Amino acid sequence: MSDVREKYEAVIGLEVHAQLLTASKMFCACANQYGAGTNTNICPVCTGQPGALPKINRRAVELGIRAALALNCKIRSESIFARKNYFYPDLPKGYQISQYEKPYCEHGKITVRLKTGEEKQIGITRIHFEEDAGKNVHAPHGTLVNLNRAGVPLIEIVSEPDMRNSHEAGQYLRALHSVLRYGDICDGNMEQGNFRCDANISVRKKGEAKFGTKVELKNINSFRFVEKAIDFEIDRQIDMVERNEEIKQQTRTWNSAKNITELMREKESAHDYRYFPEPDLAPLIISDSWCDEIKKAMPEMPDQVRARFQTEYGLSDYDAGVLTASKELALYYQEATKTSGNCKASANWVANELLGRLNAAGKEIEQTPVKATDLGDLILRIEKGEISGKIAKTVFEEMFETGKTPGNIIKEKGLVQISDTGAIEAAIDKVIAANPGQVSDYKGGKVKLLAFFVGQVMKETKGQANPGMVNDLVKKKLS
Amino acid sequence: MSALNELDIQSLLSGYEQKQFSVQEVAESCLKAISEKNPKLNALLEVSPEKVMARARELDGASQDLSRLKLFGVPVAIKDNFLVKGWQCTAGSKILEGYRSPYTATSVKRLEDAGALIIGKANCDEFAMGSSNETSAYGPCRNPWDLERVPGGSSGGSAAAVAASMCPASLGTDTGGSIRQPASLCGLVGIKPSYGRVSRYGIVSYASSLDQVGPFSQTVWDSARLLEVMSGFDPLDATTSKAAVPNYTQSLVESGLSQVTLGIAPKWLEGLDSDVKKAFDNSVAALKKAGATIIEVDLPRTKYSLSVYYLIAPSEASSNLARYDGVHYGLRAKDFKDSETLYNRSRGQGFGKEVKLRIMLGTYALSAGYYDAFYLKATQVRKLIQEDFESAFKKCDAVLVPTSPSTAFKLGEKSDDPLKMYLSDIFTLPVNLAGLPGISVPCGLDQKGLPIGLQMIGRPFEETKLLQIAKAHEQIHGVMKRP
Amino acid sequence: MLSKEEVLKIARLARLELSDEEISFFQNRLTRVLDYMTELKGIDAAVGSSVRHVPVDCEEFRKDEVVTFPDREALLKNAPSLEEGGFLLPAIMETE
Repeated sequence: MSDVREKYEAVIGLEVHAQLLTASKMFCACANQYGAGTNTNICPVCTGQPGALPKINRRAVELGIRAALALNCKIRSESIFARKNYFYPDLPKGYQISQYEKPYCEHGKITVRLKTGEEKQIGITRIHFEEDAGKNVHAPHGTLVNLNRAGVPLIEIVSEPDMRNSHEAGQYLRALHSVLRYGDICDGNMEQGNFRCDANISVRKKGEAKFGTKVELKNINSFRFVEKAIDFEIDRQIDMVERNEEIKQQTRTWNSAKNITELMREKESAHDYRYFPEPDLAPLIISDSWCDEIKKAMPEMPDQVRARFQTEYGLSDYDAGVLTASKELALYYQEATKTSGNCKASANWVANELLGRLNAAGKEIEQTPVKATDLGDLILRIEKGEISGKIAKTVFEEMFETGKTPGNIIKEKGLVQISDTGAIEAAIDKVIAANPGQVSDYKGGKVKLLAFFVGQVMKETKGQANPGMVNDLVKKKLS
Repeated sequence: MSALNELDIQSLLSGYEQKQFSVQEVAESCLKAISEKNPKLNALLEVSPEKVMARARELDGASQDLSRLKLFGVPVAIKDNFLVKGWQCTAGSKILEGYRSPYTATSVKRLEDAGALIIGKANCDEFAMGSSNETSAYGPCRNPWDLERVPGGSSGGSAAAVAASMCPASLGTDTGGSIRQPASLCGLVGIKPSYGRVSRYGIVSYASSLDQVGPFSQTVWDSARLLEVMSGFDPLDATTSKAAVPNYTQSLVESGLSQVTLGIAPKWLEGLDSDVKKAFDNSVAALKKAGATIIEVDLPRTKYSLSVYYLIAPSEASSNLARYDGVHYGLRAKDFKDSETLYNRSRGQGFGKEVKLRIMLGTYALSAGYYDAFYLKATQVRKLIQEDFESAFKKCDAVLVPTSPSTAFKLGEKSDDPLKMYLSDIFTLPVNLAGLPGISVPCGLDQKGLPIGLQMIGRPFEETKLLQIAKAHEQIHGVMKRP
Repeated sequence: MLSKEEVLKIARLARLELSDEEISFFQNRLTRVLDYMTELKGIDAAVGSSVRHVPVDCEEFRKDEVVTFPDREALLKNAPSLEEGGFLLPAIMETE
């Protein structure tokens, strides 16, 4: 089977719809708010009442410009809003205000890091503004239409079909997600639906110039499913080509219960959306000076933070990469380091211990039970010698389970490292007294038995004695 | 002494100031005229004595002296394609039967803030598509000058209401002539302001790049007063201009014609009724005698106006009317089996023939393969029409043309051929295409005793000059009496 | 002359159910109007220059501030069918 797969490559393009982080909707002053009661954030404009007219949200355009700058796109000084005409219950006006022939920016790119370590540049064909539709909630006896989401500002980011496998697609998506989060452009919450991804997938034999028939894959609503769904679809198409079956242009959806893609609808000759320039709006003017203003006020982008982490915290490129994978994680690391004072130790703890536990528990950094300041505090206590590294791991486990502070856990469990010379010497004396044979062996030249004595002292002190000190004091006592 | 319902705005305002009568008395007089004449004319679709008298009492009983308000106690009828909270809004269509407006149009709100009294919702062609008020799903409106004839359209009811003395003024909308042409056929003053002068927020959109709100009245002063109250930037309408609104009534004081040059385009003046031509020529001569310079101008591409208009307007309309789908409001068919038949049947049942025709025309003009040849081409020729006027306005201050090639025609007379009906707007369409202000003033009666209208077309946002010319004409001809 | 199929195609795009009588009525009317418009074909209009109808001094943008519409009830009152605050429709099959 794998031999067959080697003959082919996939051609993948992704379309991402990202809701913009504005207070109000794209064309009206209703709240842009997730989870409100059915039909509470509505007004004549977003419900398509007779006589209502759109008015562009300036902040939405600003955030769109930020995205364009972050993705290295060419911004059009004059772009046009257009009506995309079609009928659907969640589209109250019977058209969506979007952009068609003249989107506000095009020809951008984003650098994506692959697991092989190499970098690949993925092209961004275009980004345009549009308004979101409402939501249809299917019930057995009918459909309920909720227009809270109708009119929420979106940017649609269309990539070039530059990706060749699901890993590249996944990495592109993560990189895009990161840029939008770092830029405070979009919340990036796939489950809530404010960052939505559709994939266009086709296959062809390697070396062929012609594109195969592309299939649209919709409703990929989590990062975990993106790669799975794409892999399944690629395999499905390869199988069909091998069997000389025609691949039909259609829209499919990922069924996460069955782990398959299924037909959603046949794509008839492409919809006739009868696009024409929106007559209720003037052309969108974006001046160079406005772009400069926005550029100056741009939040730090992931690559910048990654570079800064290397210079400021002395981290390796790899470690910096791990810690800047998401904005939350980078902020978490910064906070932890501020408290702990130790960049390298913090990097290890966050990247390995914390992320490891989070992954195992199926949680994202946003859901961490361990606060950054608490983790930093834990690390600080190791530095100060209050607890050993080994004990600290136990404390961390407890912190993760209960969310308690390290101070409380150490106190409750009496885990303070014993660094008192007298106490350690007392324990050593005990061990020496209990093991006369090994003492004489050691004194007779078996220096390797030092480890035995140290081990016994650690056991005697329930692991809480400062190992370094134990080592030194045992040596001294037995010399 | 005129009955209260027959007084014009200026007289009402001075009467209120001198405490000669109360708003309630005026309202009662208007409501009486309505109850007497509306059954035959069908000018108003919703009349509500309770609402009207409640408002009249409110105005009379106000603790401060509101008589300084610019439209205090002035009864105004509003075309039924405006949203006015608390009133119906059918747009002359069955598809909006029973719809109660959830908000008030900005233009109407400004009238109300100025003390006006909304007297009723006026009949109109369905979705403002028509030139005779015959496409209304609620029955035609009749011309008070001759009940067998049309009042014009699409704002037929608004014109008829004023011509029949139901109220001194009304509001209409004008997309291709729908204020000016009925004004002409009913012997009134009617204005279509420059595109962007008055807010469109709250009027049922027909063709977004052409629609404008405007007044009907007996006198130029009255229309000027209505215009200055309604006009101006509206944050809710992104197509309104920020240009300051002049005090139009004040500027009427200086209405001399000595500095004015008026343009006539002889090649444009074809297909006129002989009476209309005669009245037009007389008006031009009179204006010349009063001091205006008359020159010839050429508007070579206005002859394409019909084609350009009937591609652009239906295209925009096909999209604007997509919201009438029976999902969130409006008529929903009772018998359907799935969402598609729900849409098809609701719209099939709710829209009349002319509306369906224009929706289909527009859908076709925008559809794949036809967009370039039809819609796009039309928008390009539209620019040429606009340029023709720009050139003309380098040489003159306003262009004169009859408002309508004929006087009021009989009901049913133009229904067999769509083009016959469309051609009644041949002199008004280009003005919307070019976004210019246009005013129609009465300039005589034909041999049958039916009113003839003279149209003055001005430069963008030069309503002041246009009103001054109209006022000068009115001073020569006098105010046309009602039938 | 527009064919019956063409008329039905347009009617479908516009979601208009037409009776047989209406189909032929519209066939005639649409053809009549469209034929008239062929006069535009021969006009040499500058390519790419369409009219700008919106005044140059319009206001493009709105500040990103939330304003709650004061009468939500009035918006829902005109609905043909509501359930739990949502607009109720018969069950939709994903047809397009």
